[in-house]
Amino acid sequence: MTADTAYDIAIIGGGIMGCATALRVAAGGMSVIVLDQGDLGQGASGVNAGTLSLQIKRVKLMPYALKGHHLWAEMGDAVGFAKTGGYTLAFNAREAEMLHERQTLKTQAGAPIEFVSNNRLRAAEPNLTHKVEAASFCPEDGYANAALTGQYYRGRLRDAGIQYREGCKVTAIDRTNGFALTTPQGTIRAKRILLAAGAWLKPLAALLDVDLPVNARVNTVSVTERMPPLISSVIGHATGLLTMKQKVNGTVLIGGGWQGLGTPQDGRGTVNAQTVRPNLALAQYAVPALGAARVTRSWTGFEANVPDFYPLAGALPGVPDAFVLGCVRGGYTIGPYIGQLMGDAILGREPEMPLFDPGRDFEKDMI
Amino acid sequence: MDEHYDTAVIGAGPAGGNAALQAARRGLRVVLLDEQPAPGGQVWRAKSASIIAAPTTPESSAGDALRSALGASEVTLRASTRVWDIRRQAGAWTLQILRDNTSLEITARTLILATGAREYVQPVPGWTTPGVIGLAGATALFKHSLSLPGNRTVVSGTGPLVFYVASEIRRLGGTVAAIVTPNSRADWARAVPAMLGQPKLLARGAVWLADLMLARVPILWGHAVSDVLGTDHVTGVKTRNLRNSLTGTEFAADSLCLGHGLVPNIEAAQMLGVPIRHVASLGGWVPEAEPDGATNVEGLYLSGDGCGIRGAVAAGLQGTLTGARVARDLGKSAPTPSLRQWQRAARFGQAMTALSHPRPEVQALTTQDTIICRCESLRRGDITAEITTGAASANAVKSGLRAGMGPCGGKYCQTAIAGLIAAQMGKAIADVPPPTPRSPLRPLPLGQAVGDFDYDDLPIPKPAPL
Amino acid sequence: MIRLVANQAAQIRRSEQVTFTFDGMPVEGHSGESLVSALLRAGHLNLRHAPNDNAPRGAFCCMGLCQECAVVIHGQVVEACCTGVAAGLVVGRV
Ligand SMILES: Cc1cc2nc3c(=O)[nH]c(=O)nc-3n(C[C@H](O)[C@@H](O)[C@H](O)COP(=O)(O)OP(=O)(O)OC[C@H]3O[C@@H](n4cnc5c(N)ncnc54)[C@H](O)[C@@H]3O)c2cc1C
Ligand SMILES: Cc1cc2nc3c(=O)[nH]c(=O)nc-3n(C[C@H](O)[C@H](O)[C@H](O)COP(=O)(O)OP(=O)(O)OC[C@H]3O[C@@H](n4cnc5c(N)ncnc54)[C@H](O)[C@@H]3O)c2cc1C
Ligand code: FES
Repeated sequence: MTADTAYDIAIIGGGIMGCATALRVAAGGMSVIVLDQGDLGQGASGVNAGTLSLQIKRVKLMPYALKGHHLWAEMGDAVGFAKTGGYTLAFNAREAEMLHERQTLKTQAGAPIEFVSNNRLRAAEPNLTHKVEAASFCPEDGYANAALTGQYYRGRLRDAGIQYREGCKVTAIDRTNGFALTTPQGTIRAKRILLAAGAWLKPLAALLDVDLPVNARVNTVSVTERMPPLISSVIGHATGLLTMKQKVNGTVLIGGGWQGLGTPQDGRGTVNAQTVRPNLALAQYAVPALGAARVTRSWTGFEANVPDFYPLAGALPGVPDAFVLGCVRGGYTIGPYIGQLMGDAILGREPEMPLFDPGRDFEKDMI
Repeated sequence: MDEHYDTAVIGAGPAGGNAALQAARRGLRVVLLDEQPAPGGQVWRAKSASIIAAPTTPESSAGDALRSALGASEVTLRASTRVWDIRRQAGAWTLQILRDNTSLEITARTLILATGAREYVQPVPGWTTPGVIGLAGATALFKHSLSLPGNRTVVSGTGPLVFYVASEIRRLGGTVAAIVTPNSRADWARAVPAMLGQPKLLARGAVWLADLMLARVPILWGHAVSDVLGTDHVTGVKTRNLRNSLTGTEFAADSLCLGHGLVPNIEAAQMLGVPIRHVASLGGWVPEAEPDGATNVEGLYLSGDGCGIRGAVAAGLQGTLTGARVARDLGKSAPTPSLRQWQRAARFGQAMTALSHPRPEVQALTTQDTIICRCESLRRGDITAEITTGAASANAVKSGLRAGMGPCGGKYCQTAIAGLIAAQMGKAIADVPPPTPRSPLRPLPLGQAVGDFDYDDLPIPKPAPL
Repeated sequence: MIRLVANQAAQIRRSEQVTFTFDGMPVEGHSGESLVSALLRAGHLNLRHAPNDNAPRGAFCCMGLCQECAVVIHGQVVEACCTGVAAGLVVGRV
């Protein structure tokens, strides 16, 4: 393939960011190829806890979460979407205070969050502990099944006529004539590139001599075997260190961002029993009947961030025609929407909401 | 309670038991952990408390010898103990164990994984019907409770185990309706040279076969069970001649023992970073280890059928090699034992493994509606449809369908699923690695893992930025 | 008929028979034998129903891995193949 038959854009990373952007730029008329070192949607986008709660979104990202919320309803059953509403719980006075403070700011940012009485909480969720000090409720909260990310986007990409290659790690990028990407499946040429490599953004950007200060958290999720109905909405904790939902099949998914071991560079993360245990304890404290459940799997995924914990979304500094999208906190929730914004920017259109300049000074809160 | 050792050995079968004995003999502080109530592993599983007296068998005698050697040794035995997670932290191994409904930690400088094997059962229509049990699984009933799978049993599968199982059923007073084995007489003839190295085992097999023939038990060579009859319990089986695909005799039975060889339990080694490769003659995916068990991971050793199906004799010998290696690596003096005996035993074991391999002709007996993943009741058609729409790996099939996310954790579906992916995509089976293994190693009762706690003592980190 | 493998059933001495219940039904077993062994002998092959298709399932691997023999004792799911018979034990379906 010569430079003029190159793809309009090659997207490196087939997670939710890369795939959502691919759909947008293809709809805008570009020829697109998506490359992933593994399978589509087996990174963070395929292993995350799937919580789509406004209650746990960062205040400044709330408008993005709100704008994009309808996209999940549209994806619907194909991604296991369920809008159940969600309760966030405080178990002592200190947490109750924190909850009030945080939810007030989030309400001001537009999330329809209200505080509910213990009676109302118990009527809705009779299996919750009675030791709740304060609880907030958001009817917009819900979840989707992250394990379906790969299956879903493979279908969407195929239907949109977008090529993708799995097992296709980009190991070098040559810029003499557009972009020439070295992969185990040969050289792939493109006029533009989007770096959407999640927790692997730093080594990928380094191929272009750009230093992105990307770190990775090693988040842990556990799941039980099928249980009789215990909870019907998403249950969270004031600190954010517990998220829990019971799927239609009866399994209970327990997350909250407890940290496992390992780095993206090692290629594998592993759970740390010493953090799994308090995560499970918190879950059991909230829903005592979980004590009888058996945990069938615990796993980790790498969640990327930069020092100010806001997204990288925009032009890659110093490299014309290269873009980067990643490090979005709550990125599963916001991914489909921010992917559209990114796609619009690549297409040269004004995005509906501002993006997040990857060239900013990360030590200052500039957003 | 915290316990610290020089070496922790997981699995008290021939491999782990002998590794522990050897390491202790060389002066190491050793703990031997097994989820079974007594040492012996699969092959030498101990009798339950329900048996007050019974005639001995070669397996029970060998097991008793191991149990009394361990009893007389300095090895700390932790039976009825399930290891659910293992990590290397600060230069030592931390094991999470469940014992007496309580979760505890054990630490050790070195770790020997001697986790043995499990069974592969090739799915055929009806194999999920109650009354169908694993062929190797049946031996657990014989050894532990000296009980039978039913009153009239069809014994079917590959390798030597069919004859052992049939013969044990007869010894314990049961009736064998038929033996149905995909192996041909010619397959067996080819294995004879390797078997000559273990004349005792060869002779034992000859007695089983002669007895079955004298008793006029039908033996269908080159046949497989093609259908299990019955809805909520087994009522019989249909058979098929694998050479000409003609329907064979149908047998009435209330139970079926079915198995197609063994698969090493590699999950723990895999999770700890030992590379795996596919070696059909060793039972499929095996972690890479030296003959004495050393691996690429510091302080981690593997021994026995868990690193390749070479059989019980080889497992025991390899255990001794591994125990000595660990002792040497920890600065104790131990001779470097010769590999010769182990190699000879391994040759026998691998010949049996070769007879037991999953066979494409049996794989072809599944239909669109045959269940492949028992935990999630996923049928072959579900799996192949997922592959058709682009799921190109075991991980992708698992994510899309939950195949491997049920309580067994994929232990009984992944070999078949890999076979389907390979066949449909025209790949070699060695290019379809198993899905990422996940902790816990066994389903973990949440309340037991957590134990008693005070809410205020939970180490809740500082919350995420607003 | 000549037997090369003798029937040794009569030489086996077992512990006393005790009664436990499975799904409310009384079942006899020798104390200490595995629940699966006693349940099979009593003809209780069908231990649970599979998810999704609700089909009957029973003990399969007999070594504590497949989870097909899962039953409930004292509110906790356990493997019947790894659990011993005891007098008065109340065994429920999952
Ligand atoms: C059900 C079964 C029956 C068999 N019967 C025979 C037979 O009769 N004759 C024969 O020649 N071969 C038999 N085999 C083959 C078997 O693999 C033997 O070759 C031999 O037992 C292997 O010895 P080993 O020490 O490597 O492993 P094993 O004997 O399998 O010992 C491994 C031990 O590890 C323990 N273990 C594993 N994981 C954990 C964990 N996470 N926590 C705690 N404990 C753990 C298990 O309980 C087991 O006791 C059988 C295999 C199976 C699966
Ligand atoms: C355990 C966990 C729980 C979470 N829970 C939630 C939650 O409940 N709700 C929520 O909204 N968010 C959650 N998140 C965050 C969310 O999952 C992420 O923000 C989001 O999935 C990131 O998507 P991504 O596409 O940027 O990254 P990824 O999904 O990781 O995709 C990056 C892809 O790039 C590929 N790649 C990397 N390098 C290369 C290369 N050189 N060549 C080719 N391909 C490459 C990788 O294989 C990978 O597939 C969680 C994250 C984790 C880890
Ligand atoms: S029969 Fe498989 S776990 Fe009990």
